[in-house]
Amino acid sequence: MDIRSQPGASHRGTGLRGLAMRRPLKEAGVLLVVTMAATALGWALRPDRLPLRADPAFYELELEAPLIDPDPALALYQAGEHLFIDTRPVPEDSLATIPGALPIRPGSFDDDLLDLFDFLSPEDPLILFGDGNLLPVSNIASRLKERGYRDIRILRGGIGAWVAAGGPVTRPESGKEGS
Amino acid sequence: MRWLGLFCRLAVGGIFIYASWDKLLHPAAFAAAVDHYHLVPYSLLHPMAYGLPLLELITGAALILGLYRRGAALLAGTLTMVFMIAIASALARGLDITCGCFHTDGGHAVGVSLLVRDLALLIMCLPPLLLADAGPRLAVRRKKDQASRS
Repeated sequence: MDIRSQPGASHRGTGLRGLAMRRPLKEAGVLLVVTMAATALGWALRPDRLPLRADPAFYELELEAPLIDPDPALALYQAGEHLFIDTRPVPEDSLATIPGALPIRPGSFDDDLLDLFDFLSPEDPLILFGDGNLLPVSNIASRLKERGYRDIRILRGGIGAWVAAGGPVTRPESGKEGS
Repeated sequence: MRWLGLFCRLAVGGIFIYASWDKLLHPAAFAAAVDHYHLVPYSLLHPMAYGLPLLELITGAALILGLYRRGAALLAGTLTMVFMIAIASALARGLDITCGCFHTDGGHAVGVSLLVRDLALLIMCLPPLLLADAGPRLAVRRKKDQASRS
């Protein structure tokens, strides 16, 4: 049967094969348009939406330790088996930190590690946190791994995400580091 | 042949819907999984992390419902071929990554077995695309049922 004789078929001479594939192509186009509309709508309505353009610095960063979300980190904190390490540069007096967190700063890494000699051992499970920027925390994780520390995780979102998850914070006394 | 078309339609549709689910729930993790292939530019990474799972979901639903069945089968086949090219490219470059096909937290490492699996999926896309009859179209059937009752 000549397909071109069917109702709705074009007579512009694209051939049998072209006519047979025209309908699937048209249907696929409709589905693509529906998908694009749903994607735009879904992106606009999601409260936790990613930025439209990805930050290359985020994806190119190869983290030296796995990330942990604030909620499971809070559970580990309450269990009391993990040590929390504040990796932010020496804080201002008013800077909030996690109660019991030990400071290991990028600018005084060796001195801080020496000060914590009695409190830390390479077997201790550590959770590192910063201000949300992953690069400096990952660098501290790398340097700790060089010293033999193996059980290291990085708090996703840093201290801000910790506070948002309901984690406790304390403000160190004037002139003292949070410990 | 009709039952073969129906079986392939439902199987491919179910697989696509299942594959979309975890990605829809965790777009950030899916974006990271896609980035591991080093094929998608950063300007397209996040739109793709939202759009691709939705395309899988809509394609799968269309196949199962029989709406735009041949177009959905064409899309499913095209997507499967794109996935195969991405996996083959990762293998050729020696990338040691997980595929991100069904689960964003781990899943299968890319390997030849994934290519074989996708080839089987690609073959299953052909009957709903090529056969004139690939089982009932659910929406139309409901209308017919209502008409026959009245």
